[in-house]
Amino acid sequence: MITPKPKVYGRTDRASRQHRISRRVRAVVAATLSVGLAAAALAGCAGGASSGTSGGASSGTSGMNGKTVKMFTWVGNPDEEAQWTAYIDGGKLEDPALSVEFSGPAIGSYYTKLPTQLKGSDAPCIITLQNGQLEPYASALEPLDSYMTKAGIKASDYDPSMITQLSNGGKVYALPYDAEPMVLFYNKSMFAAAGVPAPTVHWTTNDFVTAAKKTTKGNVYGFALGQGIGPVGNFLAANDEEYVSKDGKADLTSPALQKRLQWFINLATVEKVSRPLEASGGQFPDIDQFSNSQAAMLINGTWDMAHEAKAIGANNLGVAVIPSDNGTPHGSIAGTGFAMTKSCGDKAAAFNAISAMTSAKSQQAVAKSRSQVPARADSLDAWKSSTGAEPAAVVKILTENGRVGVSATNGDKINTLFTQYEVNGFSGKSTAAQILQDVRNGVGQ
Amino acid sequence: MTSVTLPPSAAPGLQGPQKKRTKTAITARSWQGWLFVAPGLLGLVLFIIVPLVGSLALGFFKYSLLGGGQFTGFDNFIHLVHDPLFINSVVVTTIFVVAYTPLNIMLSLAMALWLNTRLVGKTWLRVIFLIPALSPMVANAAVFRLLLQKDGAMNGALAGIGIGPIPWLSNGSWALGAIILVSLWQSFGYNMIVLGAGLDSVNPDLLAAARIDGAGAFRRFRSVTLPLLSPALFFTSVLTVIGAWQVFIQAYIITGGGPGQSTTTIMMYLYQSGFTYDQLGYASAMAAILFIIIAITTLIQVWGQKKWVFYD
Repeated sequence: MITPKPKVYGRTDRASRQHRISRRVRAVVAATLSVGLAAAALAGCAGGASSGTSGGASSGTSGMNGKTVKMFTWVGNPDEEAQWTAYIDGGKLEDPALSVEFSGPAIGSYYTKLPTQLKGSDAPCIITLQNGQLEPYASALEPLDSYMTKAGIKASDYDPSMITQLSNGGKVYALPYDAEPMVLFYNKSMFAAAGVPAPTVHWTTNDFVTAAKKTTKGNVYGFALGQGIGPVGNFLAANDEEYVSKDGKADLTSPALQKRLQWFINLATVEKVSRPLEASGGQFPDIDQFSNSQAAMLINGTWDMAHEAKAIGANNLGVAVIPSDNGTPHGSIAGTGFAMTKSCGDKAAAFNAISAMTSAKSQQAVAKSRSQVPARADSLDAWKSSTGAEPAAVVKILTENGRVGVSATNGDKINTLFTQYEVNGFSGKSTAAQILQDVRNGVGQ
Repeated sequence: MTSVTLPPSAAPGLQGPQKKRTKTAITARSWQGWLFVAPGLLGLVLFIIVPLVGSLALGFFKYSLLGGGQFTGFDNFIHLVHDPLFINSVVVTTIFVVAYTPLNIMLSLAMALWLNTRLVGKTWLRVIFLIPALSPMVANAAVFRLLLQKDGAMNGALAGIGIGPIPWLSNGSWALGAIILVSLWQSFGYNMIVLGAGLDSVNPDLLAAARIDGAGAFRRFRSVTLPLLSPALFFTSVLTVIGAWQVFIQAYIITGGGPGQSTTTIMMYLYQSGFTYDQLGYASAMAAILFIIIAITTLIQVWGQKKWVFYD
């Protein structure tokens, strides 16, 4: 069968075929580009809509979703999700129209992802910062002093140690929602089974080691060791010792640090009351051990109470002071605050959300529902009435003897190297002195 | 199909209009060619060239993601040469590349040869061995972290045959060995499939001829199969070496770079510098050095292929 060729005047067959192909290609490309551009335009419109519809200019909607304030925080598990929901619900007691949405990674990667979020085209309006974490991010945050003055909020309403830790250059950058001492959690039934009496608020280091020995059985250890320099720092703080100066300089030659690190390592290698630390990309093997009843004791902040109560049973969870050599415990106060980003499109709404979530009404509600120690003095009674006598007594003495923890300016690098090198102590390859020397070499000290 | 254009001297009568038409045709064809490669080219420029140049440029700055940048010339590169942590990471990564690459190729080749025999269910076995390569590295690494703990399942299994316990995660040498083993488990399946395809394309007549000539199994493998498989071996070895220089997830998830610095690879230290210590300029300088190392290694492989790779 012969297919008639279309007539093309003034061209050879090959040239006309090429011309037709060329035309088809152009048509296809034009159509594709049109569809692509249309899709891009639609995507752009959709993006604009999802960033908020209340404003006009894009700068007015950055970090907002309509009238909802976007918050970037750590949301690593359902318990943390419940915590943020509790603060938002608490804020609604102060401002019923409050609308905040939150998202974020687990705490382990939160500070790694935070800079990218803050530099992104749709940075959140609110972020959360723990004590000691403000300094690197201060340049991307809005000082809150003028907003506080305008709203009649005084810094003195909040725990002074937390306000100090959430301030930079004399300016307040975040308002705290909790001010929680580091405490020692213990498993009551394990203590009872081993015939160990409940710890008192004057527990000594010797009492602690004795209890740990008695509760160690097979693969269940008396005490869960945490990774990094923080867990060693807890024992330093309990003994009123410090290796970081007030200007943030870490002294890695500190005899106190070396002594406590060696003692910490000996818990596993000499006393055999702890599982030796191994190299791991994981963050909190100690919490996992305690929550799974693989260890009788754990050191963490009171913010972990709700989670541990759920894991091992509220009636089974005991709270004690971190032991000290002379039985006079010193609390290391830690906590978190809400900060506002400079790029926030609606700063008034963001500050309103922060003040509502840190208001007395909110903190009292959360103190009752989640046992978190509030950062406001006027909310402490609500916490004491909702938690038992034991945690209240522990927090009282730790707060009275509380000390403001100072973070080293190059704390991230020190902690990373410390985490890597301390494993050599547990394997017997290095002493505490060698580990600290290795860390010093790494940070160039 | 190719078109032949006669030179003007050979076809004087066609010189005028024919010349014009040919030029038009070539131009149109050329335009079409560019159009067809445009999507790929656009992707290459946007996602490879621009980030590469941007990363290289950042290497000349002291750059913080939050604090902005400050031009520092070659300071980052000079600092790298004197940084013991970086030098250590280069040594660790080199050990990994040198140990992992031949092990991977040998294991993949052995498995491909085994699966090239008259084995029952070899298709299913191919799929099973490929599964680790298809599953997410992060999830695999997280599982291996648990398996390799002192009281983990790996030591439990070894204890059953009277071995161990092995300090997989508390001794530097064992930790690097563990990273190599996990990497092998994860990725040998891909090379196995490529080499298997290469084996399938070996002409059976050549093997039959060698057999008739009295060549034994080993001689047939060395003198017939291996030369014919050399293009596939070259391809897999180049990709394996490139991947090995960039090893990251295994160390990040399983060991966190420890114990000490024993598993801190270049990529691991690059990540720590860029995203934990907020030294993006320094990390970018590191990336540039890594790029150069990979480029040189690949060039050596490409030059070296002339001696051992045979194309039909």
